[in-house]
Amino acid sequence: MATNQSEAWISVEDIKANFTEAHPALKQKDAVDEANRCLYCYDAPCITACPTDIDIPAFIKKIASGNMKGSAVTIMDANPSGASCARVCPTEELCEGACVLNHASTPIMIGDLQRYATDWAIKNEQVLFKKGEDTKQHIAIVGSGPAGLSAARELARFGHRVTIYEASAEAGGLNTYGIVSFRLPKEIPAWEVKQVKDLGVEIKTNTIVGKDISAAELTEQYHAVIIAAGMGKVPTLGIDGEELEGVRDAIEFVKMTKSGKWEENLSGKKVAVIGAGNTAVDAATCSVRLGAENVKMVYRRTEKEMTAYAFEYEFAKQDGIEFKWLSAPAKIEGNSSGEVTGLLVNKMKLEAAGEDGRQKVKAIEGATETLDVDLVIKAIGQERLNPLIEAFEVTHSDGVIQIDETTYATSKTGVYAIGDIIFGKGQGEAMVVSAAQQGKKAAWAIHSELTENAVHSA
Amino acid sequence: MANLETSLAGIRSPNPFWLASAPPTNSGYQVQRAFEAGWGGAVWKTLGDPILNVSSRFAATSFNGQAVAGFNNIELITDRPLEVNLREIEETKIKYPNHAIIASLMVEPNQEKWHEIVKMVEAVGVDGLELNFGCPHGMAERGMGAASGQVPELVKQQTAWVKEVAQTPVIVKLTPNITDITFTAKAAVEGGADAVSMINTINSLAGVDLDSWNTVPNVAGKGAHGGYCGPAVKPIALNMVAECARRPDINVPISGMGGVSSWKEAAEFMLMGASNVQVCTAAMHHGFRIVEDMIDGLNNYLDEKQIGSVAELVGKTVPKYSDWGELDLNYRVVAQIDTETCINCNKCHIACEDTSHQCIDMLKDEQGNDFLQVREDDCVGCNLCSIVCPVDGAIEMVEAPRKTGEEPMTWNERQSLVSMMGVK
Amino acid sequence: MREHAEFMLEKEKIDALIEDGYEITAVQENLEGAFVQFSNGEKQAHLHIESADARKYFSFLLKKQKEEAAST
Repeated sequence: MATNQSEAWISVEDIKANFTEAHPALKQKDAVDEANRCLYCYDAPCITACPTDIDIPAFIKKIASGNMKGSAVTIMDANPSGASCARVCPTEELCEGACVLNHASTPIMIGDLQRYATDWAIKNEQVLFKKGEDTKQHIAIVGSGPAGLSAARELARFGHRVTIYEASAEAGGLNTYGIVSFRLPKEIPAWEVKQVKDLGVEIKTNTIVGKDISAAELTEQYHAVIIAAGMGKVPTLGIDGEELEGVRDAIEFVKMTKSGKWEENLSGKKVAVIGAGNTAVDAATCSVRLGAENVKMVYRRTEKEMTAYAFEYEFAKQDGIEFKWLSAPAKIEGNSSGEVTGLLVNKMKLEAAGEDGRQKVKAIEGATETLDVDLVIKAIGQERLNPLIEAFEVTHSDGVIQIDETTYATSKTGVYAIGDIIFGKGQGEAMVVSAAQQGKKAAWAIHSELTENAVHSA
Repeated sequence: MANLETSLAGIRSPNPFWLASAPPTNSGYQVQRAFEAGWGGAVWKTLGDPILNVSSRFAATSFNGQAVAGFNNIELITDRPLEVNLREIEETKIKYPNHAIIASLMVEPNQEKWHEIVKMVEAVGVDGLELNFGCPHGMAERGMGAASGQVPELVKQQTAWVKEVAQTPVIVKLTPNITDITFTAKAAVEGGADAVSMINTINSLAGVDLDSWNTVPNVAGKGAHGGYCGPAVKPIALNMVAECARRPDINVPISGMGGVSSWKEAAEFMLMGASNVQVCTAAMHHGFRIVEDMIDGLNNYLDEKQIGSVAELVGKTVPKYSDWGELDLNYRVVAQIDTETCINCNKCHIACEDTSHQCIDMLKDEQGNDFLQVREDDCVGCNLCSIVCPVDGAIEMVEAPRKTGEEPMTWNERQSLVSMMGVK
Repeated sequence: MREHAEFMLEKEKIDALIEDGYEITAVQENLEGAFVQFSNGEKQAHLHIESADARKYFSFLLKKQKEEAAST
């Protein structure tokens, strides 16, 4: 990576290079050799381990046989975000973790092969799916992230008309804005969005439900509505100094790096990222790549409790991130011109586990430390979208919409919910791949509901 | 260190590995490099009336990413003047007196032609002659090579003509492009051959290019059949060697070839009755250096088996090769799966379920873990599961109690018994 | 039915006849399998043997029967 921490200046060219995809694509020989190494298991555990049930042995066999289009179709059919997931899935916990070759040699590089096949489809501008015959049924989807897109793709293939309402300027949601470009370049979700648009799906960007159009209007005008709006901004820490310039929201920070404008240059800056989840790692690695001199992740618990995937943590370590464990932010210090000058942390200690089996942490009285930082990035989760949820009048628990886990139907007839907006309270999954699967299942449920109604009314 | 020295009908070589008559033995430069690398002998690329070659000559088949599973060529015999070849043979033999040099010969089926060429090559000091009755392409269209090798009378006659003048041992190289190779092998023996060698290449077309729809290989868009060799042909070659070896009336030594890629195939050919082996494709794929492991591997194998000389291997498996009708119908093996070693790829299950006898069940244990189990009663012992199993030691074929009779009974025995039991 | 079960059914029938003192007296094989005639000197019995293993089995019994006849 082109940063030199002793130098106080980083060029835009270096920043651009730092934000290009970090993991190299498989070369043709690599891919074919690896594909040939796949055992082509019967009733393969990798398929079971994939939340979208991609027929992995089949797509790999197709790479081996040179049937690249068939391979891409196999992947994308099961997972409309298959190209993104090839890059962002925690494969060692899913397909690759289940590969039987874990017991005999090394698992097949399923993620990399999936990327190889979908890259081929992207490069060769393949049309993989066709829209179904028009049913004249119209479905609205709130949010164009992986969940919403997946639902839209499936509904369009059934022949339903689909309109997606997207608050941001570009479609793609988390994949477009929320995952760092050195892991997921914007062109990848953009291609997935285009695949969906090509099926006749209308995406109204810069359109906020609750402002530009009301929830009630959606439920009145459409045969069904899917809420796939994800989550909101990072919540406040509730400590002094949060209003200072130089205190940032990790989601917005990562989004900024995906704008392609590179206005931010962190040369010589010292950054503290608060939190230890995947977004926190993203904010930290982005900071390094923007030229920051020193980046620390500050977490009130320990390495053991951090929620970032193992490979994310590994990635952060490779980027030279420092970790301050058992450190709870207490105050952000600033100067008279409103700039951040330091982060006061309270040292914590672990105590016996509570009823939930999780070890408690307690502040060690008087044990404080001021970290010398110029920038504080908050990555302590995301706020729930309660106002939107309440506008739809669906049952929720602290901002987690309650759904039927088979149909993704909410408490309100004709309204469905998928993706991060249903994640939490023991419900759903936070992964892109799960969002894609939920989209498929909601679409199937809606389709079967709409077709049944059509049969009954005929 | 075992003794690797071999003798084929009196032709001695420091080890059993000869380069077959083919592109690798086209010139003195090449053969000398081969001897330096360790090859025990070389059969010089076939000498005969000068021919012309075409451009684009070889093609190979690959399988699941493995290049050169099989190899196809449309190159003909030497296109260099006889005089040049003879000079280089002489020079090479002087430089490497302990290595075997055999001249491969192909001329029209004409007594004088044969006499003439035999005398010329023997004059430069070759250790033996190999009559090329096998080359399937090009030369066969002119009545030579496989065209004469497919007619037992021509094989016998031409061998006899050579024997009329030959001072060195005569090896007859046979074509596999014939229904039963023992017919031509027998003819060679009747003609006086001192040894036979097999197999020459098999009629083949390597492929069709799916974009241009040209054959592979092609010459300016047009193709013609070639000769197939390489690892893929080994089982075919091995059987032909074995069929000749077990025939008491084909009582001459055999030089085996066809898919010998390592010391293992060499040992197999020798166990099946070959006195030595000839190699081409492996050298063309990897260079002459490949012989180092052939020699080393064979040596280590012999040491491990406590065999002093490679010659002791020759023919050891021949008595174990028979006709199907002599196999014991009551013998039974069944598959056993070692669930500890098994990685649960389920390939054995689906292979058995779809294409064999439906006797491998996918089950779950009390903890909910998957495991595979053979219903031994229904297992016919076909070996398919152990063949498709990717992990060594996960499936073993074990001898099982006989259920159709406690003693051996062959098909031939059974048929003779049943035939005596017509309805009275 | 599984092949082994088919064999066991046919084997039981054969064994029952042998148990009762029957011997194989004639065999006719065609595309439908083997038609085996048994006799105990007085009565005849006929079995249509279809399974491959049972066709091995009765022929092995036949071999034993011949060997015993030769040794007495």
